[in-house]
Amino acid sequence: MTLLKVDDLKVHFPIRGGILNRKIDSIKAVDGVSFEIQPGETYGLVGESGSGKTTTGKAVMGLNKITGGEIYFKDELLNAGKKVNIRKDIQMIFQDPYSSLNPRKRVLDIIAEPLRNYEKLSKKEEKKKVQELLEKVGLSPESILKYPHEFSGGQRQRIGVARAIALKPKLIIMDEPVSALDVSVQAQVLNFMQDLQKELNLTYLFISHDLGVVKHMCDRIGIMYNGRYVEEGTKEEIFNDPQHIYTKRLVAAIPDINPQNRKENLEFREEVKNEFSNSFNNYFDEEGLAYQLKPVTDTHRVALPEKG
Amino acid sequence: MGVSIVSREQTQTEIEKNNEQENKDVDSQKSSSGLVIFWKELLNDKLALVSLIFFTLVTLFVFGVSLILDQDQVVRVDLFAIYEPPSSEFWLGTDYGGRDVFGQLIIGTRNSLSIGFLVTLISGVIGVVFGVVSGYFGGHVDNFLMRIVDFFMVLPFFMLVIVFVSVAPDYNVWTFSLIMAAFLWMGIARLIRSKALQEKELDYAQASRTLGSSHFSIIFKQVLPNITSLVVVTMTLNLAANIGIESGLSFLGFGFPEDTPSLGTLLSYTTNPTTLEERWWIWLPAAILILLLMLAVRNVGEALKRAADARQRRA
Repeated sequence: MTLLKVDDLKVHFPIRGGILNRKIDSIKAVDGVSFEIQPGETYGLVGESGSGKTTTGKAVMGLNKITGGEIYFKDELLNAGKKVNIRKDIQMIFQDPYSSLNPRKRVLDIIAEPLRNYEKLSKKEEKKKVQELLEKVGLSPESILKYPHEFSGGQRQRIGVARAIALKPKLIIMDEPVSALDVSVQAQVLNFMQDLQKELNLTYLFISHDLGVVKHMCDRIGIMYNGRYVEEGTKEEIFNDPQHIYTKRLVAAIPDINPQNRKENLEFREEVKNEFSNSFNNYFDEEGLAYQLKPVTDTHRVALPEKG
Repeated sequence: MGVSIVSREQTQTEIEKNNEQENKDVDSQKSSSGLVIFWKELLNDKLALVSLIFFTLVTLFVFGVSLILDQDQVVRVDLFAIYEPPSSEFWLGTDYGGRDVFGQLIIGTRNSLSIGFLVTLISGVIGVVFGVVSGYFGGHVDNFLMRIVDFFMVLPFFMLVIVFVSVAPDYNVWTFSLIMAAFLWMGIARLIRSKALQEKELDYAQASRTLGSSHFSIIFKQVLPNITSLVVVTMTLNLAANIGIESGLSFLGFGFPEDTPSLGTLLSYTTNPTTLEERWWIWLPAAILILLLMLAVRNVGEALKRAADARQRRA
């Protein structure tokens, strides 16, 4: 059974201007994106800044108004409606652990917020539950009365995780969850999230621009550019056999840690760069947007031009 | 990529080590609460400290003494004691009706302060609710609410207050405060709105949405606590202004009648040139008290303002 199905999702933001604030144009932040996520997998959404990956995540979460298309969660339509019981099953972990926790609230209040909204617990049960959650994310249960600023970035992100798993969701949307953390803490948090995924049988929608992190985490990957998909496939297909010129360039840009290959890598990148600028017009239409996705294999879809 | 190279076991031990380290750090440095910061700021700014003590003492004194003092006794006309200079019987002399000025000063200060507090409170509550709702929802709601604010702002404040004061059937401290507050909440609403616009864009407000909190609870439980410092500072500074406005209205003759003394009614005796020139005891104490009270509140407000903003802090 498909857990999340996004079908031809469009999120357009109006540009207003002129007399009476009329809508004169729109920014197509997400323009016809479709993908499916199976239970238990980690799906990576990759793209450069402004490619619409975060907007897609927020649309699924219900934080953005959807212009067109459908989002199904467990076969139930999820468009902007107030489906409280389904919303409970989708939670989000935010990019910035410094602004995603209310600075005026104690850890207890932060983690208990979803519990207070959906589950009627007594004060004692609530406290116990919060302490369990804290323990689960590797923080000391005594810290329930502390404020967010008393924690480090990695610890704050763990508080964010504890809050997200409080309601036992099925799907967690992670919007660049480690981009604001330094590399050593990134590894901790990522590995910990993988452990948590196994333990609680979670499904992740992992939004990131960091290909190394994506390679480490994800089973299947979708590459976005300018609000559209350019390629979708399993991790192996994307990293070993990129078909679209944009994906090729993206994969070529991953740094190699071995200094002996430096010269070859540089040449390879130059080659890909030239190919990219020469064949850009073949792979994108006049507006610089990707074409429709065409299946290459069962799991691999690429936005190749009509003429082949 | 560094992430994939670090092995699992290594990171696990690192996590534990880090956690221990960080837990220790967290225990040793509890950050100070808002009140403590304000107190430090006060100790550093002696003028504000003296102001706070002065204001508290005056407030306690006038509210305490006016409990014992009989207002009817104070405002009773005594034709045998007109314009008495200060003496042991009348500490600050008497006015043209033979009424004790000292008693009027006490009750007047109480009335002026009550109005100051009430107006600040009522206008503050209206302004904060208006502003935070407007800023949080934005868009059409914001547009609509802000046009109401604009409408109130173009109204001539003094003229309307004078009209309402004249037509109000039951005229006392409460109605006067309500009338004043009805035209004084717009500034706060605008200020709070701009702050709420910023706050609602932060991730924690969005996170609350995803956790299933209602708009109502996000506005009042999540966003509002982050604006409180601004609210407290503005309301304190407004308190000084409101005491001044009341005195001004009473001076013009549209505040309280003479049987309900306030600092402004005492000042309005100066419309008689002989009183202004020769009978200083009637108006000078009230004038000095207004000046000192407003300065004191302002000094405390400024200290609060600095305490609320780490960049301006002196302590």
